[in-house]
Amino acid sequence: MDNNKTNILILDDEPIVSKRLKPSLERKGYEVETFTRSRDALARIREKRFDIVITDLKMEGIDGMEFLTEVKKLYPGTEVIVITGFATMDTAKESFRKGVFDFLAKPFKLGEITEVIKKAEANIKNR
Amino acid sequence: MRKILDWIKQNLLRRHPETARLSATDSFRTLFANFQELIDLNNRILHHVAEANDKLSGDYIFDSNYIETTCSKISAMVKDLIYLINKMTQQQYPGLYDAFERIEGDIQAMLEGKIIAPRPDFILPYPMIDRDLMDAVGGKNAHIAEIGNVLGLKIPLGFAISITAYQYFLDYNKLQPQIAAITDSWHRGEIQVDEASQTIRRLILSAAIPPKLEQRMIFAARHIANLSGESSPRFAVRSSAYGEDSSSSFAGQYLSRLNVALDELVSNYRDVVASAYTIRAMEYRQQKDFRENEVLMSVACQLMIPAKASGIIYSIDPVHPEKETLVINSSWGLGEPVVSGQTATDTFVLDRRSPHVERELNVVRKDLNLVACGEQGTNLEPVPQYYRTRPSLTADQRHRLAEIAMQLEKYFKTPQDIEFAIDHKDEIVILQARPLRLKRKNAPRASELADLPERYPVIFRDRGVAAMEGVAVGPVHFIRTDSDLDNFPDGAIGVARYASPMLARVIPRAVGFITDVGAATGHLATVAREFRIPALFNTDEATSLLHEGEEITLDTEERVVYRGTVRELELFALCEEHIEETYEYRLLRRILKKIEPLNLLDPNAETFKPQYCQTYHDITRFIHEKAVATLIDRNYYHSHDPDTVAGRLKWDFPLDLILIDIGGGISGTEDHFVLPEQIISDPMQALLTGMSFPGAWDMTPAPVDMGSFMSSLTRTFSAELSNPQEVGQNLAVVSAEYVNLSLRLGYHFTIIDAYVTENIKNNHAYFRFSGGVTDTVRRKRRTRLLDRVLTHYDFVTQHQGDMLVARLKRLDKKGMIKRLYLLGLLVGFTRQLDVRMVDDQKIDFYYRKILSIMEENDGQQQDQYTDFRR
Repeated sequence: MDNNKTNILILDDEPIVSKRLKPSLERKGYEVETFTRSRDALARIREKRFDIVITDLKMEGIDGMEFLTEVKKLYPGTEVIVITGFATMDTAKESFRKGVFDFLAKPFKLGEITEVIKKAEANIKNR
Repeated sequence: MRKILDWIKQNLLRRHPETARLSATDSFRTLFANFQELIDLNNRILHHVAEANDKLSGDYIFDSNYIETTCSKISAMVKDLIYLINKMTQQQYPGLYDAFERIEGDIQAMLEGKIIAPRPDFILPYPMIDRDLMDAVGGKNAHIAEIGNVLGLKIPLGFAISITAYQYFLDYNKLQPQIAAITDSWHRGEIQVDEASQTIRRLILSAAIPPKLEQRMIFAARHIANLSGESSPRFAVRSSAYGEDSSSSFAGQYLSRLNVALDELVSNYRDVVASAYTIRAMEYRQQKDFRENEVLMSVACQLMIPAKASGIIYSIDPVHPEKETLVINSSWGLGEPVVSGQTATDTFVLDRRSPHVERELNVVRKDLNLVACGEQGTNLEPVPQYYRTRPSLTADQRHRLAEIAMQLEKYFKTPQDIEFAIDHKDEIVILQARPLRLKRKNAPRASELADLPERYPVIFRDRGVAAMEGVAVGPVHFIRTDSDLDNFPDGAIGVARYASPMLARVIPRAVGFITDVGAATGHLATVAREFRIPALFNTDEATSLLHEGEEITLDTEERVVYRGTVRELELFALCEEHIEETYEYRLLRRILKKIEPLNLLDPNAETFKPQYCQTYHDITRFIHEKAVATLIDRNYYHSHDPDTVAGRLKWDFPLDLILIDIGGGISGTEDHFVLPEQIISDPMQALLTGMSFPGAWDMTPAPVDMGSFMSSLTRTFSAELSNPQEVGQNLAVVSAEYVNLSLRLGYHFTIIDAYVTENIKNNHAYFRFSGGVTDTVRRKRRTRLLDRVLTHYDFVTQHQGDMLVARLKRLDKKGMIKRLYLLGLLVGFTRQLDVRMVDDQKIDFYYRKILSIMEENDGQQQDQYTDFRR
C-alpha cells in the first residue's frame, strides 16, 4: 500500500458506476475500492479510514444518507461526495447539512467528478 | 396590403378544388406557428437523441434511472409531435399513433429487461448481416458476417438462425414460463444448479421444432449447398448466443456440431439450443452480471470446409501480453482437436508488429487428425506418414494469418481468438473470431499508468472533447481531400480539420480520429462509438501540431497525445474491460436502436407511410416531411393572412419567387414587388447571394431539352411530377432569422429550411433536392456531386436515387451564412447539372469548381451583402 496515495471508497448499487470510475481514478493515481452493497461498504469503513467516500443515495438496504452519516460520524475528516440519479433540492440540502463536500447529479462526465475529487483532496491537505 | 394578397390570390395562387379548405380561423400565421413549433420540437428530439448517444462515449457516469427518464422524455416529445402534425393537417395521420405505440411498447419491454430482436426474420444469410443485427443473430454470427462483408476475408457460406427463431421455438412449446420458474427456483436456492440445468435441458430436447422454422432452416441450408455446388452438403452448427462474444467470453460454454447432414440439421439445432442451459453456462452468467432474460440462443449454420489444416490464433499471447507476440496453433484436418487440446499441435509465435518476425517455431509429430466421416460426424484418423513431421502451415500462411489477426484486432478493438481453416485451394478461411480474455494479473494495472506523461514525450494534452473513450496507437494520416480518404492506410489515426461525416468512410481501416473542430454529438461521433474508435474532437490545433506519418499514441480519456508508442498504455487498453460489459450500457445501446436509425428515406416511396415507421427517428422524419408539404400545399392553394407582408421578388435573375414575411424579414414592398435590398432576412439574403453568382445563372443552357430550362424560369412542370404535393409556387417564408424556401425550377424541386441566430444551438439548415430531366444515371451523378460538396461542408446527407436530403446543425452564424450561400449557389448551378453529367469525371470537375468558388468568395461574401442592402 502506497501511503502517499489518496484512498477512495465508491458505493453504488449499479455496477456500471464502479466499473467505469475505478480504472479511471486508478489511472490518475488514486487507491480505489468499490462496493455495490451498502452493508459491505459499511463493514469496510469500520475496518479502514478512507480519505474520500463517493456514494449514491438511493439504494436497497441501508440507503446512502445513512451510510454517509455513519462515515462522517466515524471520520469527520473524510470528505464525502454524493452522486445521485434522483437529484432534488431537498436531498442536496440535506446532504450539505450532513457535511457532504459536494453533490453531483447523474449523468455526469468523468472530468467533472475528477475535478471535485481534486478539490476535496486540496481541502484535506490544507487543514 | 389586402390588395397585394388579393392580387397574389388572383394572379399567382390557383385554387385546387380537391384540397380541403382551411377553416376561417386557421390562418396562415397560425399554421405557420404550428409548423415552427413542430420544427422546434423536432430539433429538440434529435438533440436529446444525440445527447443520449453521447452517453455511449464512455465519458459519462450514468445509471438505469437516466435511461428511463431519457426514454420517457423523448417518447413524450414524439407524442407531442404527432399531435401537432395532426393538428396542422386536420387529423390526416392517425396511423402515427399506432406506430408510436408499437415502438414505445418495445422500448418499455426493453426497459423491463426483454430483448427485442431488431428484425423479425428466422433466417438471416451472412451477406445480409451487419453490426446492427448483433441483437438478432448473436455475436458469433455478426462477427463472422462482418469479417466477410466489411473486411472482405474468406468465410464459409452460412446463415444465422436468429434469436427470433429461438423465441418462436420456445413460445411454440410454451417453454418460457417453465424455464423462468426453474431458474428462479435455483436463484432462490430451492434447487441445486445441476437439477435446474438437467430439467431445463430435458424440456428443450423433448420439444418439437415448429414446422415453419424447420422448412426455412432446410430451405436456407439447401440454398447455400446449391451455391457451393455440393451434392451431399455437410454443415457446421455452432452456438451464437446473445452476449456470447462480449468480452465476458463464453468460450467453450456452448455446443458446436460438425459435419452435420441436411436431415440431421434440425435435431442438431435443438442440441445447440439446449446447451444454453449447461451447468457451466448457467453459473457463468450468474457471475457475469448477465440476466436470465438475456439468454437468447441464435445458431450459426455454416457449410463445412473440408480442411487440410486448421487452427487458432491468439492475436496477443494471453499469458505474456507484455512480450507483444501472437500465437498460432495448428494441426492437420479439422480444428476441433486444436481447440480442445486432443491432439498434438504445432505452435508458431510471431511478432505482433509488422513484418511479423517469427520468434518461435515448435513443429511436433502429428500422428492423428480429425476428419469428417462420410455420413455424419467426425473421426480421428492416422495422418499419412509424409505429413506427420511436417509443419501444418507454410511460412507464407503463417505470415498472412498474423496480418489477419492484427487486422481483426484493430477492427474489433480488442484481442482476438480466431479459428481458421486451410481449404483445398490452400486458401485461408476464417471460421470464427471472438474476444480473447487476458488474464488480468498479467495486464498492466491502471495505477501504474498515473505518471505516463512524465515518462513519455507529450505532443499535446488537455485539449478537445472525447467523442469516444479509448487508446489508439498508429501513424498520423491527414484527411484533407477525398483522395486522402481513398488512400487511408490500414491502422492509421485520421487527423482532420473538421469532424465531418465523410470521415466515416475510413472506419474499417482507422484506429482513431483527431479533429480541430467538431462536437461529441455529431454524426461522426455516433459512428465512432458504434465501431469503438477512440475519437478526440475540437482540439483546436491538432492539425498543426501533428505530422503526416508520425507514430502517435492517442489517449482520449486523459486527452493526451504522445509521440511514439506508449506500450503499457496500449497493453492496458487491450486488457481493459470495455464499458459495454455492463448491463446498463448494453440496455441504452439496445434502446437507441429503436430510436435513432432512419429507414424512411424517400418521401415518394411506397413505404413512406406511418405503418412503416420502425423508430422514433422515422416518425419525426415522416412528420417533418409532411409538415413542409402541408405548408406548401396551403400556400399554393390558399390565401395568406392579411397581416403578412408579401410580394414578388424583383431582381436581375429570372426567378419567379413570392416572399411572405412573418416578422422582420422584409423591410417593405414597392408596388407588389420586393427588391433584393428590402430583404433583411439574414438567411434569405445569403441564399440569394449564392443564387446570384454570375456563373450559376449565366451558364449557357446545354443543348438538351431547351424547353425544360426555359420552364425553370416559368412555372411549368412535367406531367409525371404533377402531384399537388410536388407542385407549387416558388415561395419563401422569411423572418429576420428564418427562411423556408420551396422552389420548383423546371423539373427540380428544392426545399430549404434554415434558422440562423446568434445562438449556435438554434441554428440549423435543411436542404432537399429532387427531380430532373435526364436519365437516372446522370441524375444520380448529380446527386453524388451534391453529396460530396455538402459533406465537404459538414452536412449530413442521405440520398436515394436522385433525391438528396442534407442537414446541418449547431454551427455558428458565420458558418451558417457561408453554407446558405453554398445552398444558393447549388440551387443556381444544379438546375442543369444533370444534363452535363455525361461521365463520372464531371463529378470531380464540378466538385472542384464549386469548392474553388466557395473558397474564393469566403472573404468576400460580406461585401456582396452590402451591395444588396445599399
